[in-house]
Amino acid sequence: MKSKTKWTIMVLVLLSLSLLLSGCGGPKQSDDGENAEAERDYFKVGVITSLSGASVYGGNVTRRGYDLWAETVNAQGGIEIGDKQYKVEMVYADAASDPATGADAVERMVTTDEVDFLFGPYTSGVTLGVAPILEKYKVPMITGSAESPLIWKQKFKYTFGSIPAVDLTGSAPVSTLVNEVEGGAKTIAVIGVNDAFSKATAEAFKATAEQLGLEVVKYDIVPEGTDFTPLVGAIKELNPDVLAVGGHEQTHMEVIKAAKSLGFMPKAFLMHYGITTPDFINNLGTASEYVFGGAVWTSDLNYTDKLWGSTKEYVEAAEARWGNMPDYTEAASAATGEVYAAALAEIGATPPLSEEEREQLVDALENIKVDTFYGPIDFANEGDWYHNNVGLQPLTIQLQNGEQKIVGPAGVKVADPIYPVPGWEER
Amino acid sequence: MDLFFQTLVNGLLVGGIYIAVAAGFTLCFGVLHVIDFAVGEWVMLGAFAVFWLNFFTGVDPLIFLPLIMVLFMVVGYYFQPLLQRVITNQQSNALLMALAFTFGMSILFRGSALTLFGFNQRSLTTFLSGKNFEILGISIPALRFGATVFAVLVTLLFMFLLYKTKLGLAVRAAAERQDVAGLMGIDSSNIARIVYAIYLGLTAMSGTFLGSIFSVHPDMGLRYTLFAFFVVVAGGLGSIQGAILAGIMLGLINSFVAVYVGGQYIFLILFTVLYLILLVAPKGILGKGW
Repeated sequence: MKSKTKWTIMVLVLLSLSLLLSGCGGPKQSDDGENAEAERDYFKVGVITSLSGASVYGGNVTRRGYDLWAETVNAQGGIEIGDKQYKVEMVYADAASDPATGADAVERMVTTDEVDFLFGPYTSGVTLGVAPILEKYKVPMITGSAESPLIWKQKFKYTFGSIPAVDLTGSAPVSTLVNEVEGGAKTIAVIGVNDAFSKATAEAFKATAEQLGLEVVKYDIVPEGTDFTPLVGAIKELNPDVLAVGGHEQTHMEVIKAAKSLGFMPKAFLMHYGITTPDFINNLGTASEYVFGGAVWTSDLNYTDKLWGSTKEYVEAAEARWGNMPDYTEAASAATGEVYAAALAEIGATPPLSEEEREQLVDALENIKVDTFYGPIDFANEGDWYHNNVGLQPLTIQLQNGEQKIVGPAGVKVADPIYPVPGWEER
Repeated sequence: MDLFFQTLVNGLLVGGIYIAVAAGFTLCFGVLHVIDFAVGEWVMLGAFAVFWLNFFTGVDPLIFLPLIMVLFMVVGYYFQPLLQRVITNQQSNALLMALAFTFGMSILFRGSALTLFGFNQRSLTTFLSGKNFEILGISIPALRFGATVFAVLVTLLFMFLLYKTKLGLAVRAAAERQDVAGLMGIDSSNIARIVYAIYLGLTAMSGTFLGSIFSVHPDMGLRYTLFAFFVVVAGGLGSIQGAILAGIMLGLINSFVAVYVGGQYIFLILFTVLYLILLVAPKGILGKGW
């Protein structure tokens, strides 16, 4: 066959394939707000998070939280609405650690898969990419992660978050290191990766440091994928008391490795978010000891809970299911489902959710306050932290013997902070 | 003054890492005229191979270096014919086909690694990890030093191979004029397979070092593909001497900018320098590129 004919045939085949596919999977037009598909007796819940790419680890942390909630609720018969129970079915979309990909994925989930409501992404960057799509389609989403204050400042109506923003929680660890340890830190170096969350974390650390009279000897916001050895080398020369890092788990691992290879140990490392993840502790071994961080929950706390009974029982269930201790992001993700269950019960909505019922759900989420094993979840209705859960107390944690211990504020600490931390040779 | 020398040394060591990845890459291009977009993924596969070997036997990763080289040389020798089919003269635009094919390979490897190995971050620990030694008040991280030594040795070996052995002569002949080389009795397709095998062996070995210095996970490859491109574009595609010089230069820029200007400007300045090099000397800083 002549190559020209071959090409023509190939083009025609591709064209017809694409027409076929678009015809099959196009968005269904709703005319009066009712879903075109038949009645179903289960809730379709969408999960949009990073299942590949740079944030794959954290994305899976959130997925584990969401999945454990779904499994537990289904095992107990489903969400209670009135006198009937409705199970949940999860639908997953991968944002691939990229906001634009997340936006596409969520658009497909909302239009083609027709989910009732959504569980949100791990990273603030993807949350910011996804939120405008949800404003367009009017589908509510609560994220069990995402701590950047930039999200709440934009006042998205359909986006909520279970973890308080880092500008609310970031001050606690710095404050502990200045006021509640022997000697008290006097100088600090702050580095952050240039993404929505990490930069906000670094800014929160810097702002608190300046407020408390610390001298900020270096402040650097670097692009993702930066080699930290030259940077840490420069900081070593300045010899600050504290090195504070805003980033995700991989960044923290590399900073610790770089510091160890240069023989640099400040009086304390302060890192957020990621030191609470099992990979950080397992991969670094003794190098991960004594690192300070921030959290709003640890497994030491004691709350009662409607679904699991208590914090302790949730922790045991999570450990049995996934093989390691849940950290506060996984816990927040699991607790997020309970907020939906309570709100849906309150408005008496049954699946599939109509547009009107989604509006009612949003109103219910704004006004509801749910007590969970994670603590109280109560979304603010106005102000800079619009739709963020502001009711939790920021805690300072430190890794001691491979476990996260609450070491501050002084009134709630479970263990004493160890400062200055032992050097590399003493471990 | 101490800081200056420390920064200088750090820069040379960062350059060593750049060279480790770029050496094989530039060879592959110089001889096979194939721009291997999947170079970072081969690094990742090498790192994972060592990780699993270390996981199951508990032996220090650096001891596996010869094994990894042999393993990946075999893989390369048998993989290359697949690549060759894409870039034969029967296809138009052989170079672009190679780029597209290797780009597809990189996506395939990344996805497969994620599926097979899971999403956890792994760390490789060797006897050199976390150690440093002091010379004249400058602290030198042992692992990076090891990686630089490895890179330098490897490049020297290459150059020896290329310029002082019969095989090297055949390789250079095939690179220059494949058809004429064939007339001289040189089996070009076998040469191509051998070169690709060497390239894979070296890239996988550098994966061992890079996995230990940084971390091991399925998405680590992209960063090294970028490094390789930086170095090879700056040094001239196909020129090993250029790659060494460019690697050192880029490592020094990286280090000095981080210390004296600020971490946020590293990539900006690096790319500006690359841009200027392309404007002024498109064949690379030594002018020997393609």
